Amino acid sequence: MLQNALPPDSQSSQTLPAVRKGRSLNPLTWLGELSESRYWAYLLLLPSLLLVVAVIVYPVFYGVYLSFQQFNLLRAGLGMKFVGLQQYTELFADDDFWVIIKNTFVWVFGGAFSQFFLGLVVALALNRKNLKGGPLARVLLLLPWVIPSVVAGHMWALLLDSRLGVINDILVKLGILTSYRAWFADPATAMPAVLLVDMWRGTPFFTLLLYAGLQSIPEELYEAAEVDGASGWAKFRAITIPMLTPVIVAAVILRVIGLVNSPDLMIVLTNGGPGLATFTLSLYAFQIAYENFNFGAAAAVSVIMLLILMVFTTLYLKFSGVTKNT
Amino acid sequence: MAFQNFRNSQKAMRRLYDAIAYVIVACMLVFALGPLVWTALTSIKPESDIVTNEMQYIPAHPTAEHYIKLWNRSGVTTMFRNSAFTTTLTVVLCLLVGTFAAYSISRYRFRGRGGILTFYLTIRMFPAVLMLLPLYIMLRNIGLLDSLLGLALTYTTFSMPVSLLMLKGFFDAVPADLEDAARIDGCTRLGALFRVVMPLARSGIAATAVLIAVGAWNEFLFALMLTNSESSRTWPVVLQLMVGEFQLPWGLIAAGGMISIVPIIIFFAFAQKALVRGLMVGAVKG
Repeated sequence: MLQNALPPDSQSSQTLPAVRKGRSLNPLTWLGELSESRYWAYLLLLPSLLLVVAVIVYPVFYGVYLSFQQFNLLRAGLGMKFVGLQQYTELFADDDFWVIIKNTFVWVFGGAFSQFFLGLVVALALNRKNLKGGPLARVLLLLPWVIPSVVAGHMWALLLDSRLGVINDILVKLGILTSYRAWFADPATAMPAVLLVDMWRGTPFFTLLLYAGLQSIPEELYEAAEVDGASGWAKFRAITIPMLTPVIVAAVILRVIGLVNSPDLMIVLTNGGPGLATFTLSLYAFQIAYENFNFGAAAAVSVIMLLILMVFTTLYLKFSGVTKNT
Repeated sequence: MAFQNFRNSQKAMRRLYDAIAYVIVACMLVFALGPLVWTALTSIKPESDIVTNEMQYIPAHPTAEHYIKLWNRSGVTTMFRNSAFTTTLTVVLCLLVGTFAAYSISRYRFRGRGGILTFYLTIRMFPAVLMLLPLYIMLRNIGLLDSLLGLALTYTTFSMPVSLLMLKGFFDAVPADLEDAARIDGCTRLGALFRVVMPLARSGIAATAVLIAVGAWNEFLFALMLTNSESSRTWPVVLQLMVGEFQLPWGLIAAGGMISIVPIIIFFAFAQKALVRGLMVGAVKG
């Protein structure tokens, strides 16, 4: 990696008098002298740019290109064949596809809303002054966020199990349920159940960011409002929400990107089922690629995901108005 | 008198709000920690106590049998090593490359700086699945498919934008005067970076390292797609595949889950303060 920071050929070293004199043979010294050249700022950026171009930018364009090709990795011998928009038209003609689109919206908006709301409530509670045990609670509340999705999935599969699930047991003992339920096998409860698991993992992210955002609001604003006799709700609406908006927007965008892109929980918990009840676009793309190796069709699904994300981000940024000030 | 009443009612309101805050935090703690506690309890119950008609809340016969069984399973130590190696390599590469880039953006004002920053922010939006397919083909062509190096390079790149933003925030906080002083004393710019800036930003760098490590350790989708032999499978993938293939008993799954989150919790406890600060910087600026 380090070599990337160096000019690959002797041409660029002509701009470096010290090197031309051949004074330094030690590579560290040489690097040190290189850092005095006027290209240093760019040289520092070079390795990261190379990596990003190779691993992200190029693959994205390649992926878009693939979506116009017929290409199956299992039949790679047939090579690629340009089919234009055929992959897309086939998708649009498929009724399942529209069910999956609908599921994706339920998953993404259900997830983002529930996690944002719960995260905000918890962040406001943590933000009370003199809350005893606050620092410890903050760390503990953050824990689910660093648990691997696979482990989180299996934990909840056990908790919600139809025979051995402790949640069933508690609900029955409390009299809320009369008998155990198969949460993930029932089309009516499968999506809410997966959303609950994601709420467990995703809420701490909102709590963390919103709490930090609340902490950065100057105390004087509230004091001034109190002098003017503002009620708690008025303070919340006139100070907290506007001051928090940039954080909210950033957090929601990041979480939506995460929700659109990761099929992890579905892979572990339901595999899209029962029927198509929890099938989302990311899982669909992944299955076409991983199980059928039909990379052309999978790429087309991914491009649709990218387009949805781009439209969402643009609209959201526009309507939230955060870009106006900055 | 009226004022006194007002003060009292305000005090009462404050107490009420405090009480609500405690209730919310307590409920949330149960929600956040309950599943972890339950998994831990399950992992030390013998299988006969897990599969029962009457739910057993406190393990009656605590045992380490699941942990021992899991550890002796073929391939488990290999994949643990794989995960550790990939994670370490990712952290080293990402910190190295990210530090250079973050330092450049933090310290220098050059043409295209704003554009590069925006670019790093927008690339976070690209769907992983879209990159997954081309990456699969590319890595296969250069012989890095099914290798830990290929996986680490991928993780490095995906972690870079966030770590770059975090690191930039930490570098911004180091006063430039200190560097200038070192430069007057004959330090090169590179020397000043390594001898002055990095030591001062070390808690921030550690926090960034933890974030990168957690991401690499937990990653599932790419690891599943880009590796296919036991010699390069990582922990989450093997855990998932074992469950699928062998219909693993719950005790083993719970033990596997516990083993895999222990390193994360240790890391996390170690750097949580700076981690929170850095993430905040990254998200708000982002």
